[in-house]
Amino acid sequence: MEKFDCIVIGAGNGGLVAALTLQKKGKNVLILEKGLAPGGVATSFRRGRFEFDASLHELCGYGELGNKGEIDALFERLGIESKVEMMHAKEAFHVVDKLTKDEYSMPVGVDNFIEKMEEYVPGSRDSMTTFFGLCEDIQDALSYLHSEKGAIDEKDLYQKYPNFVQLAPYKVNAVLEKIKMPKKAIEILSTYWVYLGSPIDDLSFVHYASMVYSYVLYGPAIPTYTSHELSRVLENEFKNAGGTIYYLSEVEKIDVEDGEVTGVQTKDTSYATSHVIANLSPKVVYGKMISKENVPIENCQLENERILGARGVSIYLGLNASCEEIGFHHYTYFLSNNLNSKVEYKKMQEVFHGNVVGVVPNIVNKKASPEGTCILNLTSLIFGDAFDKLVNKENYFDVKEQLADFLIRSFEETTGISIREYIEEIEIATPLTFARYTGHPSGVIYGYMAKGYDNLLPRTFSEEEETRIKGLRFCGGFGARLSGFSSTYLNGEDVAMKTLGE
Amino acid sequence: MKDIVMEKEQKKLFEKFNDLSLGRRDITKHSSKDLPKYNYPVNNLVSAFHPSKMEVVVTKIVEENENTKSFWLKREDSEYLPPFKAGSYITLEVHTNGRIYKRPYTISSDTNSLKEYRITIQEEKNGIVSHYMCHECKENDKLTIYGPFGHFHYSLIRDSSDIICLAGGSGITGVRSMIVDLLRTKKVSSIELIYGTKTVNDILWKPEFDELAKKNKNFKVTYLLSEEKREDYPYGFINEDLLRNLNPEGKTFFVSGPVAMYQALNDVFVKMDIPNKFIRHEEFRESLETEDVETYELTIHQKGNVTVIPCKSNQTLVQSMEEGRFSAPVHCTVGICGYCRSKLISGTVKTDTSALRKKDVDLKYIHPCVTYPLSDIEIELP
Repeated sequence: MEKFDCIVIGAGNGGLVAALTLQKKGKNVLILEKGLAPGGVATSFRRGRFEFDASLHELCGYGELGNKGEIDALFERLGIESKVEMMHAKEAFHVVDKLTKDEYSMPVGVDNFIEKMEEYVPGSRDSMTTFFGLCEDIQDALSYLHSEKGAIDEKDLYQKYPNFVQLAPYKVNAVLEKIKMPKKAIEILSTYWVYLGSPIDDLSFVHYASMVYSYVLYGPAIPTYTSHELSRVLENEFKNAGGTIYYLSEVEKIDVEDGEVTGVQTKDTSYATSHVIANLSPKVVYGKMISKENVPIENCQLENERILGARGVSIYLGLNASCEEIGFHHYTYFLSNNLNSKVEYKKMQEVFHGNVVGVVPNIVNKKASPEGTCILNLTSLIFGDAFDKLVNKENYFDVKEQLADFLIRSFEETTGISIREYIEEIEIATPLTFARYTGHPSGVIYGYMAKGYDNLLPRTFSEEEETRIKGLRFCGGFGARLSGFSSTYLNGEDVAMKTLGE
Repeated sequence: MKDIVMEKEQKKLFEKFNDLSLGRRDITKHSSKDLPKYNYPVNNLVSAFHPSKMEVVVTKIVEENENTKSFWLKREDSEYLPPFKAGSYITLEVHTNGRIYKRPYTISSDTNSLKEYRITIQEEKNGIVSHYMCHECKENDKLTIYGPFGHFHYSLIRDSSDIICLAGGSGITGVRSMIVDLLRTKKVSSIELIYGTKTVNDILWKPEFDELAKKNKNFKVTYLLSEEKREDYPYGFINEDLLRNLNPEGKTFFVSGPVAMYQALNDVFVKMDIPNKFIRHEEFRESLETEDVETYELTIHQKGNVTVIPCKSNQTLVQSMEEGRFSAPVHCTVGICGYCRSKLISGTVKTDTSALRKKDVDLKYIHPCVTYPLSDIEIELP
């Protein structure tokens, strides 16, 4: 039987970074991946003359020369910073209010952002300045928090980062109201909530602030050759460091004896190890991969309480005309039925709701598709199990087509840009598609909902206590840092360091 | 940054929590102790649409003409086969000569009858699998299939509601399924089918097409013969004049047939300035014609194992794996699906990288199913 210091289940963002971190620290690591390519949803696919990114809209926290962000700093530690080619957007986002037809274009750079907001919402400057000041404090505190390997001393934390500790229990809207931010400014500022998958009255301020800050400070970044480039480079670096990765190897069982991990099994092979890092949902791991008698009851209780996050529908369009010809001027279009996230969230429990994020990679990356063409990716999130309830074997293909038709129409009507006549290639991904490639329950792409007790900080502070099977840890979108590219990359390293500590 | 002073009440609230886990423990204290639920309806549908493989039994074999047979396949472990879009293919696994071969065949049956799939196979010159199927395979035989796969489909959003199908020889199989589906669901306004064969006897399902044309005013079929002159049939190949007569502007072409047909039509489409958007075609690859055959060594790394087999310069690496009794991961055989995608560790090859991702081209990945060796080769399979 092959024996490894650590086995990583799933080659998603978290799994790849965790594996590479450990391998570089001299451990002998095996990644078992059920699919054919690295990255999980951080991948791309080809249709005709187009290559589509399956999931990445924009990476936050990737700095430029002389202005280091968390992610490029991580990539430097991993030795891949010079091996990936990143490009930055000049605009943070462009939001269109479907109701009022008002549009807001928010620039990159803290000062620019504050000025622009003052233009749209006179009298917002002071509160915006306070907001970004808090962001800085939070960023520092989070860096400290994640660099601590063992349990965190809360008194010490309070001494060093009083703002952070005071704000920690509060939600986005509570803090923004507290610092007297005008309502309109709150609505514009909270545009990114869809990327975190919870309305701002559920979302931890700390988490939201750290993400917005990264976007505004460095600008959203994308790799030249899609997120597959990042995944492939991570995989390559892992293999070059002596790591082993087996594809088409679905783990069926994690062996546990006397509360400790002893190995894993695929359909035809058993491997010995005392450390497993699972880059998948704990619901799946505890639900079917460990014999019942070895599953801690407290973990079952927690998993039964947690709510699955957003599912998503993504329409990938290869268009046979350039951005100029079609009339695309923005990289990211957020199209909202209602800028109030609470109202919008409620509506997004339906499948057909028209809240769409449109991304045109060619605005930032000229190499995104052949000359004279461009790509438009439309994504619409669904909260809850409405899609599970809607589809069956008989209607699935039709529902897919109706959804694509609906979202394209929503985009066209809201932006006034017509795209239909240019469609040369179309692919449609639904929760079923994501379930097929990731195995996630209900095809969820955003891990668990960031509900009060399940926000960034409670997850981080409870991690050690909830690690009840010795040697079994979780990384990825269901992990302590929540979902999203930057979170899962960083979380991969956190978990690797904790595993190393054992 | 100066401290944000919290209201007394809020501060109290925080102190009550006393830890930053925000009462996480209390919240879960009373929840169910059962194993967590992980399978949702969508997850069950994944298995219905994308089983990893299927064991099927041949329930009926129909001789369509002297060198073409249809096979009806029924699933052994389930009542229904996966739903598919008209134009999809399955990969058929055949065991013969002590070796395992996998080949793609388009489903020729209707999308609304999922108890059985029909595939229609024309015997090809030197075709190992088509020979086996047409001569050795009997009713009640068991086979393994994978799929359905493919992207040769009609799209309501992308394609015109007037379509022109150009089918050559056995390329009619998926087109037949598509036409029946589109007429039944009334998704298009008009369908024009140009179906080229060598002789009248080669035409598949002529009575069915004639009947469909009679019943549906918006469906028209023209049979074109290339090796037999008959009074009531046009003679020759599909050419520019013929296409111009169809008023092709704004209509979508669906092209399916032998390689020579694609090559000829490609030139015509370019000449007629028809945009890519309006041309959908079944995937295909040319086979390499070469006089000199060299034999090299193919070293394969897979999951920690190393296998060395001979490979020939006139065979794809996948064909050499089949010959060398190495179980090749392959589905489409034409360099599209990505299932065999491998890293080229060393050696020089003749290959087609047009369907690879850009980063994979940079890092020397190849599709062994469309790769011919020009030296000893070392690859890493997934």
